Amino acid sequence: MSTRRKRGSLPGRLLIYLVLTAGAVVMAFPFYWMLATSVKSPQEAQQVAPIWLPQRIHPSNWATAARLGAEGGGRWWGGFQPGRTVRLHIEVEDPAAGVPRVRVPKPPAVFSDPRSESTTIEVVPTEDGWTIELTNEGDQTFTKLPLVVWMPKEASRFRAELPPDAVRSQRNYWRLEWENVSPGVFGYVFHNYREAWHAAPFGRYFYVSFVTAGLQVAGGLLIATMAAFAFARIRFPGRETLFLLFVATMMIPGEVLLIPNYILLAKLHWLDTFYALIVPWLASVFGIFLLRQFFLSLPHDLFDAARIDGASYWGMLWRIAFPLAVPGLVTYGIFAFLGAYNALLWPLIVTQSPEMRTIQVGLQAFIGEAGSDYGQLMAASTMAILPIVIGYFFAQRQFIQGIARSGIK
Amino acid sequence: MRTYLFPGLLAVAALYLMLRLAAHLEIVRASLGAVFVLFDLAALALAYLGARTWRSQWATLALAVYTLVVLAGQVAPIHLAGLPLVMVFLVYATVRHRIPERDAAAFWGWVFVWPALGLMLTWNVFPSFFALWISLFDRFNFIGESRFVGLLNYRILWHDPLFWRALSNTFWYVMLTVPTGILLGTVVAVLLNERIRGLRLFRTIYFLPYITALTAAAAVWQWIYHPEFGFLNWLLGTPGFDWLHTPNGIFALALEPFGVKLSGFWAGPSVAFTAIMAMTVWHFLGYNVVILLAGLQSIPAQYYEAAELDGAGWWQKQRYITWPLLSPTTFFLAIIGLIGAFQVFTQVYVMTPTGGVLNDTLTVAMYLYNKGFRDSDFSYASALAVTMFVIILALTLLQRQVLERRVTYEH
Repeated sequence: MSTRRKRGSLPGRLLIYLVLTAGAVVMAFPFYWMLATSVKSPQEAQQVAPIWLPQRIHPSNWATAARLGAEGGGRWWGGFQPGRTVRLHIEVEDPAAGVPRVRVPKPPAVFSDPRSESTTIEVVPTEDGWTIELTNEGDQTFTKLPLVVWMPKEASRFRAELPPDAVRSQRNYWRLEWENVSPGVFGYVFHNYREAWHAAPFGRYFYVSFVTAGLQVAGGLLIATMAAFAFARIRFPGRETLFLLFVATMMIPGEVLLIPNYILLAKLHWLDTFYALIVPWLASVFGIFLLRQFFLSLPHDLFDAARIDGASYWGMLWRIAFPLAVPGLVTYGIFAFLGAYNALLWPLIVTQSPEMRTIQVGLQAFIGEAGSDYGQLMAASTMAILPIVIGYFFAQRQFIQGIARSGIK
Repeated sequence: MRTYLFPGLLAVAALYLMLRLAAHLEIVRASLGAVFVLFDLAALALAYLGARTWRSQWATLALAVYTLVVLAGQVAPIHLAGLPLVMVFLVYATVRHRIPERDAAAFWGWVFVWPALGLMLTWNVFPSFFALWISLFDRFNFIGESRFVGLLNYRILWHDPLFWRALSNTFWYVMLTVPTGILLGTVVAVLLNERIRGLRLFRTIYFLPYITALTAAAAVWQWIYHPEFGFLNWLLGTPGFDWLHTPNGIFALALEPFGVKLSGFWAGPSVAFTAIMAMTVWHFLGYNVVILLAGLQSIPAQYYEAAELDGAGWWQKQRYITWPLLSPTTFFLAIIGLIGAFQVFTQVYVMTPTGGVLNDTLTVAMYLYNKGFRDSDFSYASALAVTMFVIILALTLLQRQVLERRVTYEH
């Protein structure tokens, strides 16, 4: 092994670290950018010069968000419950410039908006500025409380307790906009995530993805283990020919199968069902190949001894081979899960209704619908990759060994 | 001979079940009489031989039921289609203490393989031939009758400018992404193999893009490439440059200052497509690194020690030991990369859903998707798929011929 080799010279080693670090920065940057954008307000996202640390991840703002959230509803997710009053303080340099105008904005194009209608607004002067008191006089609970404040420009500098999500200039006023002034900590940091989650049925997408990937892995493991065991450890007539046939099917590119399998699914009336997502992918030559290698690496005597002791093949498979093959099964399981979870083309073709979309198809549709709200888009993308990334950090060794194993031989 | 009895019985029973289901669900509409006659003959012969070999009353009875159901062919109720299969298991159960080890192995071997084999036949093998078959029809779809037109679709394909556009795009894609990915992967893997600190951390970071879904990754890169607010334009100081909607070929752009005018194929992939390629190399680099690292670690250290004793420098060791001994891994990656790159779809579809400006990012797989599932022209799409299959096969074989001679397999 390479462990005996001596280390190189110091400048050479420094150069190696430099190159590797530069590469790692390039590799990791898109992830940072995705996470950073996912907690940006639209105005922050749409800056020509990048904002490296968005307002929503400044811990100093979390305390305010928690307090405001607790006033309106809860400390973590905020809200605006009946009878509660939310107080937002704005410091201004010159309070004599005039009282700010305050409004709870209506969503565009609605006739009646219970939230803005049942909220009373009071602007109370304080020593160094204004406190805006918003009280819910109705009997409905709202999850968010948006706010718009017009601050006279003569007031010169101002500082709101909770930084506004957008500041725009409107004649003699600064127009300050908050998407939610009663957010709570999570409601503040994960604003885009919550919005994206409610903008499309992501819960359902995840459910479809997990059911699909889970059943594909479970069924695939069962079928591949049986076939691999037979190919590796049972001498049956026609074994070599059959194995060649299996390997030969690996040559068929997936694109050739798209249309015939679509037609077959249509005839089975399986389009837009879980069957269409799962069944065509149950038998995997790759899995059979991988597990066969694994079974071949187990000592032969083990099986001969079991056979002489009168164990049936069925018993040998499940009592001896299966428990010993767990590392191989994990490798194949990870592969199959990744493949099923990350697939786009196949679920895109065989599903039509939003109820049967997998997370990737859902995300792809969301990219089309979200338009220019890149904060929400990045939040949705983060959610889509999160399960796999979490799994990767927990089972890193299995992931990497699995991939490496697939390459050798 | 008797070793083949169980495999034969199983095969007839399984195929009978599959065919009955196919006929029942009207997946196959051709008349199947001839096939069922074949099954009848096979079932009769096998049952006769089985009854004579095993000489057990219960086995004979089970074989009789087996034969009766198969003989009934399409007349037997569909609910009984699985009965022959059950009967084979019954036969095995009654005779299992009396048969030699070889027969038991033959039975269980095929029993274990049939689930996978049945699925493979249904979803891989038959569909491949079906794709070839429908590519010979005129607009095969669910709406109207289609007629047999022979190789007409292939002739249209030959004269289809969009197909050639897609093919040349895909060609550039393969030619640029696969070598770049392998080269960068080799550099990173060789450096990571230099006994450095933090190997695990680096490997984690380099590998992370590979496990993230292409859809999400493409969305992120689309945002990085955004003309107004994208990070890349800020970094390069090119405000407003629309990376994903610039159809100019990169070779043409690069050579323009020198007064060389290139057009068509030789203009190279468009800027938009190159941007997608950059994203793809980023995404797959970790895979190459992990595979190459495993390859590197399997090179025995003695070679390097011997080279050091002979006074070889770092570069010489890489050139004369690492590179040749890594060649099987590199070759594997080249083949896998070629096959994968030829089928590129997801990132192109997400970043340029319409195939870009003037189809400058249209790939073969995307053209196939458009033809098949947007225009519902299954025949033409199948002709495309078959052509693609032939091209991939030819390229793989060519690659074997050209590259494999330079591969050093022995350590």
